[in-house]
Amino acid sequence: MKTIKAINKVALSLFGTLALLLASSSVISSFEVRAQGPVQTKPTLTEHEKHLFSTFDRLVKDYLEQRKTVAGKLPKLSKEAKPEEIEAYQKKFVEQLQAMRAGTKPGYIFRPEFTTYVRETIQTEFPPRDKAEIKQTILEAENKAVPLKINYPYPESQELSQIPPTLLLKLPTLPKEVKFRFVGRHLLLVDTDNGLIVDYTLNALP
Amino acid sequence: MDRTFTNFLALVLAVFLGITVDVTAQRRGTNGTGNANGNKVAAPAPLKVTLPLKKDSVRFVLIGDTGTGTDQQQQLADLLLRSRQSFPFEFVLMVGDNLYGGEKPADYKSKFEDVYRPLIDQQVKFYAALGNHDEPAQRFYEHFNMEGKEYYRFTSGNVAFYALNSNYMDKKQVDWLQSELAKDRSEWKIAFFHHPPYSSGGKHGSDTSLRKVVEPIFVQHNVNVVLAGHEHFYERIKPQKGIFYFISGAGGKLRRGDVKKGSPLTAKAYDQDMSFMLVEISKDSMYFQVLSRTGQTVDSGVLPRQQSQRAAVQ
Repeated sequence: MKTIKAINKVALSLFGTLALLLASSSVISSFEVRAQGPVQTKPTLTEHEKHLFSTFDRLVKDYLEQRKTVAGKLPKLSKEAKPEEIEAYQKKFVEQLQAMRAGTKPGYIFRPEFTTYVRETIQTEFPPRDKAEIKQTILEAENKAVPLKINYPYPESQELSQIPPTLLLKLPTLPKEVKFRFVGRHLLLVDTDNGLIVDYTLNALP
Repeated sequence: MDRTFTNFLALVLAVFLGITVDVTAQRRGTNGTGNANGNKVAAPAPLKVTLPLKKDSVRFVLIGDTGTGTDQQQQLADLLLRSRQSFPFEFVLMVGDNLYGGEKPADYKSKFEDVYRPLIDQQVKFYAALGNHDEPAQRFYEHFNMEGKEYYRFTSGNVAFYALNSNYMDKKQVDWLQSELAKDRSEWKIAFFHHPPYSSGGKHGSDTSLRKVVEPIFVQHNVNVVLAGHEHFYERIKPQKGIFYFISGAGGKLRRGDVKKGSPLTAKAYDQDMSFMLVEISKDSMYFQVLSRTGQTVDSGVLPRQQSQRAAVQ
C-alpha cells in the first residue's frame, strides 16, 4: 500500500511538471504546433513557360494516344494480380509499344528548350543548400546500368531515383501513365506500368 | 488516481521529454547473441510481448526494407510469426523496398511469399508502400493490397492509414492527400511511406525536400504518426511539430552503426540488428514495442493522441 502511495505521489508530481512544461510552449519547442500552410505547389508561369508546358503536354498526350491503342488490345490487369500476370502484361505491353514506336528518336518529347527549363529551374529556383541536396538525392541512386535507349524497358533491377518533391512540383504535372526519372544527370520519361523509356534528355541536372 | 493511470501518466511524460521508455526492462529474459552478419543465431529468448491487448484495439506490425530473400529476413519473419502467438495483429504495414533487385515471379516468391507464407495463410493482410527499389507495377500485386494505386487510404477501427509514394510526390498526390485529410474524421491519422522526413542516418539522413512538402499538410490536418523506412535501422524521433515519427527500415537489411551518435533528433535508436515494430492503438493511446531479430525489446512505450493533448494545452 505504501508503495502504491509512493508511486502515486511521484506520478502526480510528474503530471504537475508535465502540465507546467506544456503550458510553456517555448520550453518544449518540438511540440510547437505552428500554423503554416502547405508549400506552394503551383508555380507562377511566364508566357514562355506556359507555351513550353503546353507543347510538352501535347507531346506527352501523343504518346498516351499510342499507349491507349496498345493497352486497349491487352487483357486488363487485375488489381489483385499474381506476379506471373504482372510480368506477362508488362512484356506484351512493351513489345507492342516497341513495335508501334519503332524508329522514334530521342528528344521527340524532351525538346531542347524543355531541358533548358529544367536546368534553369534547378539553378535559379533553389537556394544553394537545397540545390546541393537535390543533386545529392538524384545522384546517390544506384542506377548507372540503365541504358539510355529510347523504347527499352528500364531494368527492374535498377533503383528508381527519388525525384525530390520540391523539384517535382516545379515540373509539369504528368498524367499517371508516365513519370520523370533521373539516371545520373539525365532525365527520362518512363511509362509507369511497363517501365518503357519513352524519351530521355541528357544533362538536365546541371 | 489509480496505479494504472499514474503509470500511464509517467510514461506519457517520459515520451514527451524524449526519454527512452522501456516498460519491459525488468521483465526481459536473457537474449540471443546472433548478429546480422553471421548465419548463427542463438536460440531466441521467449518472446515478451508487453502490449496491453485491449479490447477492440487496432493491432498491426511495421516492417520496412524487407525484400532481400536472405536468411536474415527469414529469421525476422519467423520472429514476427512467433510474436503473433501472443500479440494477434491483424495486418502488416510495409514501408517500401519490398523487392530488391529483380521483380520476376521468382522474386515475389523468394523475397515475399515464401518468407511470410505462414502469415499470409493466417489471413494477415500486408499493406505496402513503394520504395526506391520498387516498380510501380507492384501496386497490382494481390498480397500488397494496394488496389492498383500508388497511394491510398484505408481504415481500421478508429485509425486512418495513408500509404504514400514518397518516391514520386507530385502535385496530384499532394492534392489527393490534402483533400482526403481535410475530410477525415478518424481519431488517429497515420501516414506511412518510404523516405523519412527526419532521420539521424549517416548514409541518407532526413529527406528535407519531402519534409518541406508533406509536413505542413500533416500539421494542418493533425496527422498523429508518421512511419518510414529507407534507413536500415530503427529510430524513434523526438516529436516534431507535435507529430511522432518512427523509422523501421531494418526488415531485410541492416546498416550497422549508421545512426549518428548524439543526434538531436533521436529519442531512441537501434542499429545493431534487424528489427520490426508492433503497434497497438486503443482509444487515445498508441502502444509500441520494437523487437530485434533475437527477440530483444529495443524500445517500447505509449504515446498519447495529440488531438487531446493540443486541446489540453489550449
